Amino acid sequence: MINFIKPLRAVLLGRGKGKGRGSNPPAASKPEDVGLLSPAWKDQVLSPNLETNLRQIKAILNNCSDVIYREFVFAQNEQIRLALIYTDGLASKGQISDQIMRALSLEVPMVVSCQEITKARAMEFIKQRGLCIHQINETGKLQDTIQAILSGDTVLLVDGHATAIINGARGWEARSITDPESEPTVRGSRESFVETIRVNTSLIRRRIKSPNLKIEALKLGEVTDTEVVIAYIEGIVNDKLVAEVKSRLERIKVDAILESGYIEELIEDNPWSPFPTVNHTEKPDRLVAMLLEGRVGIIVDGTPFALTVPNLFVEYLQAPEDYYERFLFTSAVRLTRFLAMIISLTLPGLYVAVTSFHFELLPTTLLLSIAAQREAVPFPVFVGVMIMEITFEILREAGIRLPRPIGQAVSIVGALVIGEAAIRAGLVAASTVIVVAMTGIASFTFAYSASIAFRLLRFALTILSAAFGLFGLISGLAIIGIHLCTLRSFGVPYLSPIAPTTGVDLKDVIFRAPWWAMLSRPRLIVRKDQKRQEQGLKPAPPETRPKK
Amino acid sequence: MLEQGKIDAKQAIMLMVSMVLPTAILTVPAITVQYARQDAWLSVVLATLAGLLIAWLVASLSLRFPGKNLFELTEEILGKVPGKVIGLLYIWWFLHTNALIMDEFGGFLCVAIMPDTPHIIFFLVGAIVAGYAVRNGLEVLSRYNQLFLPFILGLLFVVFLLAAKDMKAARLLPVFDAGLIPIVKGSAVPASWLGEIVIFTMIIPYLNKPKQAIRVAALATLFTGSFLMVSILVALAVFGPNLTGHWVFPTFNAIRVISIANFLERLESVLIAAWMFGGFAKLGVFYYAAVLGSAQWLGLKDYRPLVAPVGLILVGLAFLCPNIVNLLHFIASGWPPYAIIVFEAGLPLLLLVVAMARGKGGKAVD
Repeated sequence: MINFIKPLRAVLLGRGKGKGRGSNPPAASKPEDVGLLSPAWKDQVLSPNLETNLRQIKAILNNCSDVIYREFVFAQNEQIRLALIYTDGLASKGQISDQIMRALSLEVPMVVSCQEITKARAMEFIKQRGLCIHQINETGKLQDTIQAILSGDTVLLVDGHATAIINGARGWEARSITDPESEPTVRGSRESFVETIRVNTSLIRRRIKSPNLKIEALKLGEVTDTEVVIAYIEGIVNDKLVAEVKSRLERIKVDAILESGYIEELIEDNPWSPFPTVNHTEKPDRLVAMLLEGRVGIIVDGTPFALTVPNLFVEYLQAPEDYYERFLFTSAVRLTRFLAMIISLTLPGLYVAVTSFHFELLPTTLLLSIAAQREAVPFPVFVGVMIMEITFEILREAGIRLPRPIGQAVSIVGALVIGEAAIRAGLVAASTVIVVAMTGIASFTFAYSASIAFRLLRFALTILSAAFGLFGLISGLAIIGIHLCTLRSFGVPYLSPIAPTTGVDLKDVIFRAPWWAMLSRPRLIVRKDQKRQEQGLKPAPPETRPKK
Repeated sequence: MLEQGKIDAKQAIMLMVSMVLPTAILTVPAITVQYARQDAWLSVVLATLAGLLIAWLVASLSLRFPGKNLFELTEEILGKVPGKVIGLLYIWWFLHTNALIMDEFGGFLCVAIMPDTPHIIFFLVGAIVAGYAVRNGLEVLSRYNQLFLPFILGLLFVVFLLAAKDMKAARLLPVFDAGLIPIVKGSAVPASWLGEIVIFTMIIPYLNKPKQAIRVAALATLFTGSFLMVSILVALAVFGPNLTGHWVFPTFNAIRVISIANFLERLESVLIAAWMFGGFAKLGVFYYAAVLGSAQWLGLKDYRPLVAPVGLILVGLAFLCPNIVNLLHFIASGWPPYAIIVFEAGLPLLLLVVAMARGKGGKAVD
């Protein structure tokens, strides 16, 4: 048994075997892995010979039918041979034929006499005067060349030169910017991030036209080579936070990053917690607001969901719209959301505890009507609640997974059949259905990622309540409370500004202060420049009125 | 240092309030009223004064030895062996007090909401929840407390206001009917509870501004004293001295009789639910002191391995009193001299005097 547990523990906790009691050789003496993750041609350079280069690239990219090789000559000069390599579908064909091939082979001879251009000068000439491409780079390394081809850039090889010109002529089919589907709002920007990282960074840059907005790029995933961007506002952000984010990202060594969720799980502070300590959003305006509060955004190519850190628990009560609607209304809505949060966590447990242990808490008439409903029901309340909860979870999951048109039908059938028929059949009491439905709906009022945690914990609390009544429920809540107090997200206490309390930051928890009173940025996230705006912005009618 | 965390003055005050109040408002009113009748609230005033003295005593003792908690400064003042002996006494006292709290906690829950549940369930779950907080350190304990205490106190305050309908000021009269002696007698129990502030010596080194220690201790004692006084006043004004003295948990009963518009009733269950959070915090503070003290006494580098064994000892000790009546009798008669004279006033005073006589430690900060 022990022999089985040890390696499992080592794998789960990410501890190397070398740390254990065993006499394994130290990690440093191991030969470096040569495989898919670090190819043999990693450090090779290009050769001056075009044929050699092409042969090498074709060998590496063999069986890649989407890579296209096009050989032609420069300015009708047979001496200078060129080759274009690009990936079909990722590169812009129009740009390649017009601005590279047409320019180099037809238009250049119209302007200058090309016969005098020697092979040796060709490279310089092509770069300076030949290409009509907005962005070009050079590389002498084979790996960079391959990477450029596969990222959608067009590589131009010139015979006699050991460098490749990388033309930024990308153009692929992409989803256009649409409404944010997971965070719909009534008021506010309707733009949502898309799968293309450049579009996403442009959506941010369009909102913050400050040189202090920094967008640093790095690549993650040994096979997928996914582009990842760290966005922050210099001067507002805590420098240590940026360094910490970078160091956590740099220690990621995985084969693939397909969604920001991968990164989220790899950089979390407490991987075992049911609560997420990294937030995500698909709304650019929300991300920008987060950056302005000193957070760091992590945008990943291939997904519309950007991550933000540090993440505080109160963020789950905040919707982007809260800052666009009037503050009194917003505060009332937040109170509702908070109430819904508590309901979604505790209502089934409370119902089970009260109806199985503490009847005296219910008003007598209500107690009688519940008792009457339950008369025909064969199961105890706890079983009824669990049946309905699981049914509800199945319905919810089916609603998400099923193709759109059928999804509607499922929810109608589910609501009617399960709700109505289950009561008639005497399977569960009507009050149980009300409680479960109420809980389910309440869990949709606040951020989805937090509601997932609450869904999990709700089952635990229901079981505790069934075992120990109100005492079990409260003990469970206390454990959850303590657990939340232990969490930190990138060094910031998860429950701040509530516990530890920072008085001024309570302005944006349940009560949302009006904009003219939002004088400072969150104190525990932003360490240095905390002033957000000038004092005395509260609007008022002019003091001197025109005299009649 | 064993404890890496730092807490601020606000958190410390709240922790000290939680350390006394949750069980104090349950059991103290009945006992005090038995002695002082309708003047019980005056007893609390007296007890608060005594509590302030103790608070000043322990805070100034602690401030003479910056960065050192009770166990470390005892050894520095008295030398290694006598210091260890005193330390052992304090560990016993922390454990015993915590076991009493656990017993009250379980006893009350048993009486109030779950009469058929065996006590061991309350003890075990209480120890697990408090132990989980203790294991995560002082910072987490005080944050947890900060999260729930305002909610509990706010709820209590609202409920007290709702009880106003049933209150009659005349039930507090006549004042000073039996003279000063019953009032002084009645003040012993609340004073012994407020004197639990002696635990503050375990926490002062971890304040982010230790200079505020005296202020923190004084404010916490004043707040706790006044809240206790209010709860006694509520119980007295609702029931009068005869009935109050006979209830086991008069404040709880005063809340139980609230009935407004046939709708706002059975509020006691809401309050018990909220109160449980406070109960866990109170258990946590003593638990923490016991664990940290034991680790220091044994010279360990980490206190966390001790959390589970100390918890088991606590659960065992909680069975010392066979039932709640027995327990309350002990709290009313045996406990105050034992707690006040030895641990809350006696030993700290001795330590302070010896420290001054031997010229140990820096000057006390006024």
